[in-house]
Amino acid sequence: MIDLVFIAFIGFVLLLGLKRPFLWVLLYVYIDILAPQRIGYGVIVDLKVSLIAFAAAFGGWLLMDRKEGARFTFRQGLMLALLVYCAWTTSGAQFPESAATKWDWVWKALLFAIFLPLTLITRARIEALALTMVTSIGMIVVSTGMKTFAGGGGYGNLKFFVKDNSGIYESSTLATVAIGLVPLIWWFTKYGTIFKPNRIVTALAIATIFACLLIPIGTEARTGLLCIAALAGLLLRYVKQRLAVMAVAGAIGLAALPFLPQSYYERMATIAQPGGDESASTRLAVWGWTLDYAAQNPLGGGFDSYRANSFTYRMPVVEKSGNTTRVVTREVTDEARAFHSSVFELLGEQGYPGLLLWLMLHGTGLWQMERVRSRWRKRDQAGETGEDEAWIAPMAAALQMATCIYLVGAMFQGIGYQPVMLMIIGLQIGLHSYCTRIDSARAEVERAMQVGKGRRQRAGVGGKGAADPSGKPPVSDAVTA
Amino acid sequence: MIDYIALTLGHGLLIYGFFRLFMNDELDFDPLVDGLKQTARKRKRERIDAARASRRAGADPDDAA
Repeated sequence: MIDLVFIAFIGFVLLLGLKRPFLWVLLYVYIDILAPQRIGYGVIVDLKVSLIAFAAAFGGWLLMDRKEGARFTFRQGLMLALLVYCAWTTSGAQFPESAATKWDWVWKALLFAIFLPLTLITRARIEALALTMVTSIGMIVVSTGMKTFAGGGGYGNLKFFVKDNSGIYESSTLATVAIGLVPLIWWFTKYGTIFKPNRIVTALAIATIFACLLIPIGTEARTGLLCIAALAGLLLRYVKQRLAVMAVAGAIGLAALPFLPQSYYERMATIAQPGGDESASTRLAVWGWTLDYAAQNPLGGGFDSYRANSFTYRMPVVEKSGNTTRVVTREVTDEARAFHSSVFELLGEQGYPGLLLWLMLHGTGLWQMERVRSRWRKRDQAGETGEDEAWIAPMAAALQMATCIYLVGAMFQGIGYQPVMLMIIGLQIGLHSYCTRIDSARAEVERAMQVGKGRRQRAGVGGKGAADPSGKPPVSDAVTA
Repeated sequence: MIDYIALTLGHGLLIYGFFRLFMNDELDFDPLVDGLKQTARKRKRERIDAARASRRAGADPDDAA
């Protein structure tokens, strides 16, 4: 039954896309995030819905869509370089089979992220992509949040739509992505045009944000707690009433404490004591090993090169014998421990060149969003922009926060090629290109005005139709034209 | 049960959102950017027309502009 619902929905969007091909891009985003073919258990499992949606998205753009304003940017070039470099390291990978398995989804995620900005030529498209991402992740988050609220959480116990602990359905990844999207969800309560801001939209956003905050609690993902702390710290930079926000956040935090399960406290306590937990203590060993590995293989060992590691160390182990439980210190040998950090994941798999590309990709994203945010904020404060541009600075801030929170989470998880975060990068590039187009169109208007003005000044003629002496283009006229 | 509630709510929102996008011409044509470009074109056209008109009248084109 659920398969038929998914197929009907996909069919519906495919039909709508015949007139608006961009909807096929959104369909791919939905399928890539939610993975309905993995939720269903009948006919949809055999259908290549992801391939169909990608072919429709790319083919529709190529053959039917408008391309005016589409441009290939520096950051897309960085992703392309990373893609090519990953292909090269895969060809000489230390573990060819597992490298090929990872390459199989990484190249698709990177290719789609490179393609995505080419389609984002209007404000409505930028917002539509953000809405599709938020809603698709929102389904997973709301379901998980409700289960947590009903008392069904616990480390490794929380059930998602898909039970394979991979991609977005991995608990720490979901916690990072969910917290990272909180500012973007709030953006819709003020600037959305697809769903006009009203009480229902605000109520839905608050409920979804609440569910997002419940994810780190329900999954007991320590990274999630760090991401919440990062979000709280970042909010202080962007909000006007900092003291009020601090007071409210503190009050909510204190009020939540009695409702948290004991297991949550125990797991969070291991953040400060990494030696007491195998998962945490091995991270430090893996990171040290990766530095040595990169020194020997500076160009990277290909995907899943962590399989080469092996550690023996002493740590406390719980032993049960009859009714007696005791903690003894034993030698434990661990093999093929994952990187547990995107920085070390990139370093071990793609070497220093790959890591540099990845850092540049995110660093330029932070810089671009800061530039857009600060410029449009100043324009907004100076009254130079209308309502049709008021959304830009807040969206840039939301996307910048998403990257910051992702980077915090990425320090402790191997999510360097996470498709959702690559889509966020696509969204950032789309927003930046859109702002560049506004500037360039405005400069074009200004040039047209200046030429007329120059001629009139040389001829000593003024009068009606002369340019504004400030050189400011007639925005309102342009908008209504 | 909880999964079905979340999936129904999410898909309902997506269907409504996609249908609104389907009906919205601004998905393909941006009123701000396309409007600015149109204004620039309009201004250029006005200047060209004015220059032509003044040439026809035998006057200095800059005066007419």
